[in-house]
Amino acid sequence: MSEESIIATQFEDIERQGKPADQHPVSLGSARGNWFKRVGWRHLLGVVALAFAIFPVLFVVSAAFNPLGTLSSSTLIPKSFSLDNFTKLFQTTSFWTWFYNSMVISLLSAGLSMFISACAAFSFSRYRFKGRRSGMLTILLVQMFPQTLAIVAIYLIFVEITDLYPAIGFNTSWGLILLFLGGALGVNTWLMKGFFDTIPKDLDESAKVDGATHAQIYFGIILPLVTPILAITGLLSFIATISEFILSSVFLTQDQSKTAAVGLYGLIADSQQRNNNFGIFAAGALIVAIPTVALFQFLQRYIVGGITAGAVKG
Amino acid sequence: MASVTLEKINKLYENGYHAVHDLDLEIADGEFLVLVGPSGCGKSTALRMVAGLEDISTGVLKIGDRVVNTLSPRERDIAMVFQSYALYPHMTVADNIAYGLKLRKMDKAEVARRVQKAADMLELGPLLERKPKQLSGGQRQRVAMGRAIVREPQVFLMDEPLSNLDAKLRVQMRAEIAQVQHDLNVTTLYVTHDQIEAMTMGDRVAVIKAGILQQVGPPQFLYDNPANIFVAGFIGSPPMNMGMGAIVRVGEGYGLKLGDTALTLHPAVLQEHPRLAEWVNREVAFGIRSEDMEDANVVRGGAPENSTVSAKVSLTEALGSEIVVHFELPIAKVVTEDTKLLEKESGADDTGVHTEGTRFVASFAPRSRVRLGDTISVVLDTERLHFFDPESGLTLKG
Repeated sequence: MSEESIIATQFEDIERQGKPADQHPVSLGSARGNWFKRVGWRHLLGVVALAFAIFPVLFVVSAAFNPLGTLSSSTLIPKSFSLDNFTKLFQTTSFWTWFYNSMVISLLSAGLSMFISACAAFSFSRYRFKGRRSGMLTILLVQMFPQTLAIVAIYLIFVEITDLYPAIGFNTSWGLILLFLGGALGVNTWLMKGFFDTIPKDLDESAKVDGATHAQIYFGIILPLVTPILAITGLLSFIATISEFILSSVFLTQDQSKTAAVGLYGLIADSQQRNNNFGIFAAGALIVAIPTVALFQFLQRYIVGGITAGAVKG
Repeated sequence: MASVTLEKINKLYENGYHAVHDLDLEIADGEFLVLVGPSGCGKSTALRMVAGLEDISTGVLKIGDRVVNTLSPRERDIAMVFQSYALYPHMTVADNIAYGLKLRKMDKAEVARRVQKAADMLELGPLLERKPKQLSGGQRQRVAMGRAIVREPQVFLMDEPLSNLDAKLRVQMRAEIAQVQHDLNVTTLYVTHDQIEAMTMGDRVAVIKAGILQQVGPPQFLYDNPANIFVAGFIGSPPMNMGMGAIVRVGEGYGLKLGDTALTLHPAVLQEHPRLAEWVNREVAFGIRSEDMEDANVVRGGAPENSTVSAKVSLTEALGSEIVVHFELPIAKVVTEDTKLLEKESGADDTGVHTEGTRFVASFAPRSRVRLGDTISVVLDTERLHFFDPESGLTLKG
């Protein structure tokens, strides 16, 4: 519907409203007709976008529950329902070990990275010291370096570390956690610093006068007020690490130490097995998606704004 | 309960800015002392040094008999009310008030008792379970006060707590704060830039300019005996009228020459300002308050001899209880650093209507019938004149 005709319709309505009802009845709302031209097309657009987004998810879900479990027999809409893929996954692979590794690595590195970023952001926000501005810029610039290019260097470093300290070398969860923590400071710190800046320094001082120690102020007053940004940072870190593949595949080569991403990839790496294993691959992918969705749901209530409203005047 | 003593307190920042110069103040136990001055004069810095939120560069700070320079705020046993209230937004009002007590691991029953007592005193009873964002400005201010009261500290420190309230609420809260302090009899140091708050609330008022203490004393004393041009122009609303005039001999006595007119000074004036004798035929800065001038027509028994000056009325404002009259006198303005600072503080526009001479504002009795454009005869009460050295700005009294 053209711009002019939409405007013309509206003007007609306005004109009509000036006249007594019996001469020109005023049409409002759905009585105006042309529902699709006015409103309906937006719904259609929404449905199309939704379909576009949900298509891959639907495919994986139907492949996971497909009793035949092969790529060639997978369809978009599930034709039949069976849990065979799941049982096969648990019985023939070390899926639960991979899943456990994934969860441990992701939760620990997300949690620690959240904590480190928060401490750094607090310092940048509250204190004034030499190298503050340059420090912040450095953090940002260093993170811009492409991680993929660093793989070779990281590999060589870890060869040495595995020789000297095998407990944190290749094929260990802690080694990988340390590696992920290396990228912890970065944009997260910038985001958090901005958020910390919105918390008035008067609150710190008020708590100090009330008798709180530095730790009590940090954990009792400041952190509860930045829960939105903590939740977002934690969530983003978790999502990044649980699906991280490149570094993990280089780092973890033994079956028992693999994360779910690496392990599941191994099922379809071989081109001959790809067709047969697609069902169990989809089943594994589905299970790995569950923690992320659960975390989203859990953190919803922390990602609300306006928590600091009312603390200070103006 | 304790006294607070500041001995030669200085604050020097790293970049060389000297915020507070050799501040000497003694606040008696239970006294309400107001630190007043223009923005940026160092009064908040002084308060924060007493609180322990800023380091003291040099000088000694004592609370009671203890030297507290190196003690943390927690150890100083003080409570502070901030300009922005600084309430903890994620806690209820009751938790906000109890926070300091809980930190000190006080017994729960005692905490509850004290919170209830403070809530009753400040009428916060029905609000105890609300969060700060559900309160109005005045209510938040009272919660901030409650938080300070409940600690039962040795000293209350207040940093412009009424600045963020609207005018009507401010008047109400002024009285409440003064009442609370009086009931609790806690030594209080109160910082404000509003001289009306200073005058109405303080037992004593300390005027600070550019980090230097100008004068300290009871409000009425500062009003009647300002030590320099700055204090004279800062305290009192409307501000003191000031101008330049020459001291002349009039027969046996002395007079003040304003343009073409010479006012005869009452002999008492010379007794109080003996140094005026040295200023004969020299220009001196003088000041007179608006209530010490009157319309010659309404003075009962007529005006004393040679005590009037004639001027044309440029503006009148009838307030009912008085008539505020603006007129120009053919004398030079007093121009010193202090007057420039006072003008800046009061927001007076330099690019306003330029007039010949200096504008004076007088407050006449309501039965005066002056109107805009009239040429009137203004009686000045010469006993109430203030005289200042135009170079140093200091009073010539005593």
